Amino acid sequence: MATIRTETLPNGLVLAVEEQPANAAAAFSLLVPAGATTDPEGQEGASAVLERWLWKGAGPYDARGFAEALDDLGVRRGSAAGVEYTTFSAALLPEVLPQALELFAEMVLRPRLEEGTFDSARRAVIEELAALEDDPPKKLFVRLRGEVFKSPHRRVVEGSRESLERMSAADVRSLFARRYRPEGAILAVAGGVRFAEVREAVLRAFGCWGGEAAPPPEPRTTEPHAAFWSEDTAQVQIGLYYRDVSPDSEHFYPARLAAQVLSGGMASRLFTEVREKRGLVYAVYASPGAFRGFGYLAAYAGTTPERAEETRRVLKAEIERLAEGVSEAELARAKIRTKSALVMQSESAQARAGGMVRDIFLLGRVRSLEEIAAGVEAVTLSRLNDFLASHPYRDPWEGVLGPKGGEG
Amino acid sequence: MIRFHETRLANGLRVIPEVNPEARSAAMGYFVRTGARDETPEESGVSHFLEHMVFKGPEGMSAEEVNLAFDALGAQYNAFTSEENTVFYGAVLPELLPDLLSLFSRLMRPALREEDFATEKKVILEEIALYADRPDFVAYERAREHYFKNHPLANRVLGTEESIRALTRDQMAAYHDRRYRTGNLVLAFAGNLDWERIVDLAARLTDGWPAGEPGRSYPPFSPPRDDIREGYSRARQLYLVGLFPGYAAQDDRRYAASVLASILGDAGNSRLHWALVDKGLVEHASAGHEENDGLGSFYVYAAARPENEEAVYQAVREELGRLADDPPGEEELARAKTKAKTQIVFAGETPMRRLFHLGLSYVYAGRYISLSEVLSRIEAVKRDDLAALLAERPFDRGLFFRLAPAGT
Repeated sequence: MATIRTETLPNGLVLAVEEQPANAAAAFSLLVPAGATTDPEGQEGASAVLERWLWKGAGPYDARGFAEALDDLGVRRGSAAGVEYTTFSAALLPEVLPQALELFAEMVLRPRLEEGTFDSARRAVIEELAALEDDPPKKLFVRLRGEVFKSPHRRVVEGSRESLERMSAADVRSLFARRYRPEGAILAVAGGVRFAEVREAVLRAFGCWGGEAAPPPEPRTTEPHAAFWSEDTAQVQIGLYYRDVSPDSEHFYPARLAAQVLSGGMASRLFTEVREKRGLVYAVYASPGAFRGFGYLAAYAGTTPERAEETRRVLKAEIERLAEGVSEAELARAKIRTKSALVMQSESAQARAGGMVRDIFLLGRVRSLEEIAAGVEAVTLSRLNDFLASHPYRDPWEGVLGPKGGEG
Repeated sequence: MIRFHETRLANGLRVIPEVNPEARSAAMGYFVRTGARDETPEESGVSHFLEHMVFKGPEGMSAEEVNLAFDALGAQYNAFTSEENTVFYGAVLPELLPDLLSLFSRLMRPALREEDFATEKKVILEEIALYADRPDFVAYERAREHYFKNHPLANRVLGTEESIRALTRDQMAAYHDRRYRTGNLVLAFAGNLDWERIVDLAARLTDGWPAGEPGRSYPPFSPPRDDIREGYSRARQLYLVGLFPGYAAQDDRRYAASVLASILGDAGNSRLHWALVDKGLVEHASAGHEENDGLGSFYVYAAARPENEEAVYQAVREELGRLADDPPGEEELARAKTKAKTQIVFAGETPMRRLFHLGLSYVYAGRYISLSEVLSRIEAVKRDDLAALLAERPFDRGLFFRLAPAGT
């Protein structure tokens, strides 16, 4: 069985390790509290540029030397700037973990951030921003998030063409100095590793890191409303955003099970009513998500224009109908699906490292898969239905993107 | 300790369990050797449509009952269709594997009810509309059509709006009868399971299935030398797809080809990475080697803002030319192999991932190819092997296809 240990290191970096003795692989994920919400006003997209820029040389390595050093260890890696934070992740063989941590520490503690490589990092983000134009569902949800929040959670992670073009290397270096700090950062490691050895390697690589990042802003929302964006797409994109309980709520497990009844599996209500019975869509789902201190349920459907109004109506009605409660059989299916998914997650080092980092960011601690399984098991039908009656999913923010006339 | 077993049932069905007693889950899949390439023009899209219809249930079981049965097992399951394979797969807790096998085995003899057929047709048409909004997908689809021309690998997996509208239930039933025969199916298992019991159960469940091996046609193919540029009204970015002759799934040179493709276009450190991504010229660039039944191909892909079109196009051509003039050195080769090693360890991490390698490699090779065999094949690749591939000048003998915003 996997054992998890969590420790706050002397410099404030939170380290969590899940030992999976049978696993021949390992993975880690490092979270740094720099994201769209902490970009300075007028410099939207700075965290995204920084995330790209960091790969372009650190310590003794130039960009190519750094990539080659990682390849020599066989480390598969990635990074992503998001709304609240940036993550750096690696998948590797357990025996190279100490060297891989040293290399990541070079990048996060001693990046070169040279003038000569700044523009290519910025242009990469301009490319990402442009790529959003050809991905209608993603574009819809970026825009809808912009409608939901008053706080900087509304921002586009990649900023705007204007903010990116205005940004200087000095602006981004100063962001790095403020946000890339161990107090507020989280490192999770999972796989065929031992806690004591990981801890020692982490202290060696990250021990000299110091300082504290100011806490990110709290989420603040607008009043729910509807927005329409005209686009010449083949399908109308429909997005709904419901307020939900936050991950630290006592109602967390009932809420997650309700989302399963709604959209987990092919017998779920949305799949059955929107796709199976009516053939209105190929893609329909509702999926819970969270920012720190704020939970939401996002729902999506994509359909051709003449069926958009019916799709939107059925989608909303099914979600609101949750307030009337679920059946014993629905709860049983939601439970077994959740528990079975947890077991499968436990077999993947990458899935666990990512999940642990998120848990610590949102809750301040890691929930073991056993704890989650027990939390799910403890939800009775009456507790779930009481929750749904007292926390109805209704009155969402609505976003529709598609050809004119599809706004309903 | 992972052990492989292989059985041919009396009805001709091959059953291949790979057992890992330490796994916490068990996965299974029916791998049907059929796809778009096995369709007549009148049937275009039928393989994929049939994959959907399989989940509508056999005689005596409704679609809703099918969905409920899967969800009651807490199964993670799905299916996909490609040009030459249709795969139905799922994973569950080990004790539920017999139930999952029973369910999937019943589904392989679908009732194809008219009413379900009519409803699902609408879903397929929505799926076609969904991909019309994804210019990256459209670019690949059109590039394949220009490259493979009259060869059946040019066939569209989804079919077209016209072919799907015209398709009848009886055409689908005839296709099913022709293709879903025991000689054309492989039943694969991976993970924690009792293989003797599962083989016995499979024999009982598939007793009486029609035997036979329908085969497929392998018309001669010679790659076109072409350079095509087309407009697309829904594209806002520029998409470049290159297709060049490679090696079949049965050809041992495919291992060297995959190493060469990794040197050319892996994420993070490859020739295309430094020429395109690092310079901020593209949103994405990659290369790979695709192994099909009887023939293979190298592909390159890049997506960029339209104003970078000429620079991206020239840079890709230059890098492909440079492969021949400045072939990969020992260090580049060693790094590509080290990366492959990590990839292979992760491909073996969970039963579900093992299942895909197991089933697909068996379908093509007709024998078990373990992940450690793949690893030793990759490790054996020498510079001379790469030189031999490059001596055939593959990148001078293929297609460049560009999809650009309409009217540019």
